[in-house]
Amino acid sequence: MNTWVRIVRRREFTVFILIVILSIIFAVSTDRFLSISNISNLLSQLAGVAIAAIGMTMVIITGGIDVSVGSTLGLACVVSGSLLMIQAPFLLVLLATLGTGLAVGLLNGVIVAYGRVPPIITTLGMMNMVRALVFQALGGRWISGIPPEVRTIGLGKWLQIPLAMWVAGALIVVFSYFLSYRPLGRSVYAVGNNPEAARVSGVNLKTTLLFVYGLTGALAGFAGLINVGRTGIVQTNNGMGFELDVIAAVVLGGTSILGGRGTIVGSLLGALLVAIIKNGMILLNIPALTEGVIIGALIIISVLIDLVRGRGVR
Amino acid sequence: MANILECRGISKSFGGVRALNKVDFFLRPGEVHALVGENGAGKSTLIRIISGALMPDQGEIYYQEQKTEITSPRLAQEIGISAVYQDPLVYPYLSVVENIFLGREIRNRRGNINWRQEEEKTRELFDWLGISPQFVHHLMGELSVGVQQLVLIAKALAYDARVIIFDEPTAILTEHEAEKLFEIIARLKERGVGIIYISHRLEEIFQIADWVTIMRDGQVVGDFPLSEVDRDKIVKLMAGRLLVEEIEHAGQKSREPVLVVKDLTEKGRFYQVSFEAYQGEILGFSGLVGSGRTDVAQAIFGVSKPDSGEIYYQGKKLELNSSEEAMRLGIAYLPEDRKTQGLFPILSTSYNITVTVLNRISNYLGIIDRNREREVAERRIKELAIRTPGLETQVFNLSGGNQQKVVLAKWLEVNPQVLILDEPTRGIDVATKAEVHRIIARLAEEGMAVIIISSELPEIIKLSDRVLVMHEGRITGVFEGEAITSENLIRAATGERMTGANFPKIEEGLP
Repeated sequence: MNTWVRIVRRREFTVFILIVILSIIFAVSTDRFLSISNISNLLSQLAGVAIAAIGMTMVIITGGIDVSVGSTLGLACVVSGSLLMIQAPFLLVLLATLGTGLAVGLLNGVIVAYGRVPPIITTLGMMNMVRALVFQALGGRWISGIPPEVRTIGLGKWLQIPLAMWVAGALIVVFSYFLSYRPLGRSVYAVGNNPEAARVSGVNLKTTLLFVYGLTGALAGFAGLINVGRTGIVQTNNGMGFELDVIAAVVLGGTSILGGRGTIVGSLLGALLVAIIKNGMILLNIPALTEGVIIGALIIISVLIDLVRGRGVR
Repeated sequence: MANILECRGISKSFGGVRALNKVDFFLRPGEVHALVGENGAGKSTLIRIISGALMPDQGEIYYQEQKTEITSPRLAQEIGISAVYQDPLVYPYLSVVENIFLGREIRNRRGNINWRQEEEKTRELFDWLGISPQFVHHLMGELSVGVQQLVLIAKALAYDARVIIFDEPTAILTEHEAEKLFEIIARLKERGVGIIYISHRLEEIFQIADWVTIMRDGQVVGDFPLSEVDRDKIVKLMAGRLLVEEIEHAGQKSREPVLVVKDLTEKGRFYQVSFEAYQGEILGFSGLVGSGRTDVAQAIFGVSKPDSGEIYYQGKKLELNSSEEAMRLGIAYLPEDRKTQGLFPILSTSYNITVTVLNRISNYLGIIDRNREREVAERRIKELAIRTPGLETQVFNLSGGNQQKVVLAKWLEVNPQVLILDEPTRGIDVATKAEVHRIIARLAEEGMAVIIISSELPEIIKLSDRVLVMHEGRITGVFEGEAITSENLIRAATGERMTGANFPKIEEGLP
């Protein structure tokens, strides 16, 4: 098949076209969409979703799902917020935040890989437990008034682009390379394609699952740090609904919910599409409730398209 | 030349049943060694041991003159023993290149995968095998099973295989693809690869094999260079002297057939199948798995729609749109896979028995009358001697044999005129099997038309009054009385056209 035909038929291409079309619509119908402050705002919100989507892409490629990322982000916000309040060294804050996310993610991974509990159940339970932990830790109060000097990760910019987005970009490049060129990266695909064949070829299923869930947790934690940096506030509801955005980004970006295929770049485009829809709706003063309807419908439609097309292969 | 693989005195039992009994098997490099035998003769157990999927209970394997313990399929592959199974283990959404190299990537100094070199190597392998290079960039799932099989051969070569096992490779191939495969096998031979070739198609074996080992009942019963045997001798050895005690039943064969099938064809599955079934008679359907037996049964039961041909039931033309309709008319079909198609495993025994007659046991409000349900279930449990701790016991707790009796009971409740049983005793212990056989005989006695599909020759021979044999979607033999012998059935099942069958002329454009 012709290379160009292949590119055009990819989901990433469709999403890219949608992004362009929506951008044009919003640019024409509002005067603020293309303003530097709006774009910068959009990108700094995008960064967290894009980073967590890296891990989520891998989880979904293995045929799993992780709905606990929102709660994990919430818990990471509590940890990083508390440490930033006492002006702890940034390296310590970073490690503690990543460590918190990693711990939750590894716990998911252990339960899925060793306990063989279905991922949706495991992470649904984890989502509720971790959220309860957040409530417990904050005790109904907010953490606020974190000084801007320690919030560089959320507020900083370089060449007009938020620092967090640069980090997200770097992580996307690194992990895309990892997925394409490292044997562990390929085993993520192998597990999602045919676990039995993977086992026979010597792929370690358990290691692979621990890795993807652990990574997803750690990245969700990192997204929490960015969130605190950006807003300077920690609330009990930080990250509620975040999992929906991340999963939407991944499935919109062409990762099959049945596992086996998908790319991180696709998820970035999916995240961008979600961010633009949300942003444009605010600018157009469309009620916030409609947003949920649109994102939810997009998830269902893209999975539907995927399943209908998937029937051809195999 | 020295043997590349020697299996000496291999024995293997599963739960007290001897699958292999002191089997010796020798393979020379550059030899195509055919392995033949009826279902259950032990071929697949033997190759699973050779390819590392099973460990033998006794015996030794020497590979390249070294005593070797093949503990896993991975190890087997590493040391050069690869198996190409009927149902290929592939990664459908990954590229052909990756399907070959996954788990054993070509890496550069930093440990990264060297895609370019993997692709080059794939091209080389494809070139050597004569596979079109256009497939290199495809996803595996986009290819036909035939081409997938070729990719798996390339994979075996990438592992530098010295022994390649083919398990009925042509069963899923078109004729053209099969010819291509034979060419490749010839080239592998030249390269000195030892090939173990399992097939039920004897004509193929005479075309490509050098040596043949014949197995029966877990033992090797013959081991010859192909030049020293003929088809007759192989069939005789496969059949052996089966000791079958026949079950007599006093069923009165009806004068008029209850079911008449004429020229039934469903493209790709079966062609021009014609037969008649009578009340009070047990009609056996023999042949290999995949020969179309089950497909014919499902067409009669309304599960699939045939492309052409007619079915007459009780003298009237039958046009079914669903299996519910077939049931209402009195045609029952017990599927092969009782777990997924025949039972509700987590529901009670009584529910499973009465599920087909819920209307009859419910009152005018449509609410199930528990007393009536219990009555019906208890009667059948007693009649069929179903061993269950109680009516409320979930059926997955019952033994395989008793589960099968539950399935039988539920169909008997609808009092069918025609009862089709697909592999009714698969996976059932010997004692229960005999009971199920007696039940089947009694049903015929009571005037039912019973059609039994089975891969086990003894079962067919024991029960049937008349036997149809299918091969690749066609009836190749019809036998009655004395003519029902294992030898005749094997001949017909391996594609020989036997007298007694009405052979429609073969059209063009068949698979």
